[in-house]
Amino acid sequence: MLRKLTPYLFVAPLMIFIAVFTYIPILTSLNLSVRQWNFLTPDMPFVGLRNYEELLASAEFWNSLRVTVVFAVLSVPLRLGAALLIASRLLRETVSSRLLRGAFFLPSVTSIVSIAVVFSWVFATDYGMVNWILHLVGLGRPQWLQDPYLALWVLIVVNTWRQLGYDIVIYIAGLQAIPQELYDAAAVDGGKRFDVFRRVTIPLVMPTTYFLLVISVIEAFQVFTIVNVMTKGGPAGATDMLVNLLYEIGFGLFDIGRGSALAVILFVLLVGLALLKSRIIGSKVHYEA
Amino acid sequence: MKPENPFVAVLSLVVGLLFLSPVLYSIWMSFQTADDFYAGRVTFTLDNYQRAIGQFHFARYLINSVIVSGLVTVLGITVATLAAFAFARFSFRGGDLMFGATVATLMIPSHISLIPNYLTLAKAGLLDSYAGLVLPAISNGFAAFFLRQYMRGIPKALDEAAYMDGATHLQVLWRIIVPLSRPAISSMALYIFIGEWNNYIWPLVAVGKQDLYTLQIGLARLYRINPGEGLVDWPLVMAASTITILPVLLGFFLVERHLVRGITMGAVK
Repeated sequence: MLRKLTPYLFVAPLMIFIAVFTYIPILTSLNLSVRQWNFLTPDMPFVGLRNYEELLASAEFWNSLRVTVVFAVLSVPLRLGAALLIASRLLRETVSSRLLRGAFFLPSVTSIVSIAVVFSWVFATDYGMVNWILHLVGLGRPQWLQDPYLALWVLIVVNTWRQLGYDIVIYIAGLQAIPQELYDAAAVDGGKRFDVFRRVTIPLVMPTTYFLLVISVIEAFQVFTIVNVMTKGGPAGATDMLVNLLYEIGFGLFDIGRGSALAVILFVLLVGLALLKSRIIGSKVHYEA
Repeated sequence: MKPENPFVAVLSLVVGLLFLSPVLYSIWMSFQTADDFYAGRVTFTLDNYQRAIGQFHFARYLINSVIVSGLVTVLGITVATLAAFAFARFSFRGGDLMFGATVATLMIPSHISLIPNYLTLAKAGLLDSYAGLVLPAISNGFAAFFLRQYMRGIPKALDEAAYMDGATHLQVLWRIIVPLSRPAISSMALYIFIGEWNNYIWPLVAVGKQDLYTLQIGLARLYRINPGEGLVDWPLVMAASTITILPVLLGFFLVERHLVRGITMGAVK
């Protein structure tokens, strides 16, 4: 009897923590999303789908969705393109390529709050690094974080700077899996370097690109810290990404019902994307002879 | 390693330094007085660190971060190792389902549990406590999955020999599996520690008392004290920022290869 119980005892702690802090909260969110509540009142009346209706009728929600999609559409190609180019230059096992990989990877383990604070200075209007350089070459002094058009770009740059090293590491692993013979064959056929990159490298590294594409879109939909520290969603909602809106509705306005409805919508979006990812990885292309 | 072209080596160094220049400059700036920084003079002072640690409580935040990240790492690794052992070595009713539920947590975005976990901990009276910071971070599906894969690679004959000698399950886990899984366990411990050290949104909602701020919250608040342009005491903020990144930065140089290997193994396979 005791022998049969053994494996359950070993998994019990993990299962309890996962249940209490991951799975039950999904049900709790669903339940709260059809209620009206502000943390304080003793009861939380059932209001049906009203929270969802109000959310979908609000300009804020569509603004946040638009900002988030724009962020993803602009930042993902930038990240992946830069990462692939850099990774393809860092394949050789030399001291300098090791060092550079380390330098590019460093930000992805660094505190996002620190990065956000440091880049708030980099893009500060006065005494900031970028405007100091622009000033040296005689250009103007843009108010990067106060300008609705520029602020989102600043966040894109900061996020790219942090995540690039991760993408590079994954691309290097993907590129190293491409058999050297294919490059040799392309070289024998007299392919120029750029042609080889376009005709051999890019198609063969496609599975890695799909993987990173989905990962980074999912990641873009969860960006919060840089928004909270650098812009608070402003100016005028220009950087009010979805998780920031969720935080503001839930913990700024204490509108638990509407915050939970937004959490559920975002959850459905992200799990959909994640399922897409596992299908892509399931159908991973093999190119062994 | 292959021999280097010196030109490429120098160029690489320059590119690396340029890429990291914002952080490198922020560390440099943290040793300047505010007046000298704004006037463009070069000096050296530890005053910003003294103020950050004393007047602005960063010693306290540092201790809190060490306690919280340390507890999450130790408890998280223990819980993940126990479960991974069961998933790797036992076949039991519901085992596949539970393993599936563990792996599925990787797809579940953390924001969905933000409000519910806040309510759970409020009900338990654990907001504004170390327990409130630590408990929701303990379960780590990725670590459990990763360790299970690794443990499956350890020959079963080793366990069986030990069981013949009368060892218990716990003894097999502790004497055979854990020592042989050390590279995987240390990769995951590092991964959990760094993740928790840099965690922001949960301490932001779970903690209101300044005594319990982690470095991330303390730094964000310090920066936001003077959000107005030109009013920010940048050298002071950069000293606080350097305190916040330094432990991970130092660790990074010691274990970079472990980390990169862990990430590649986890993502590509």
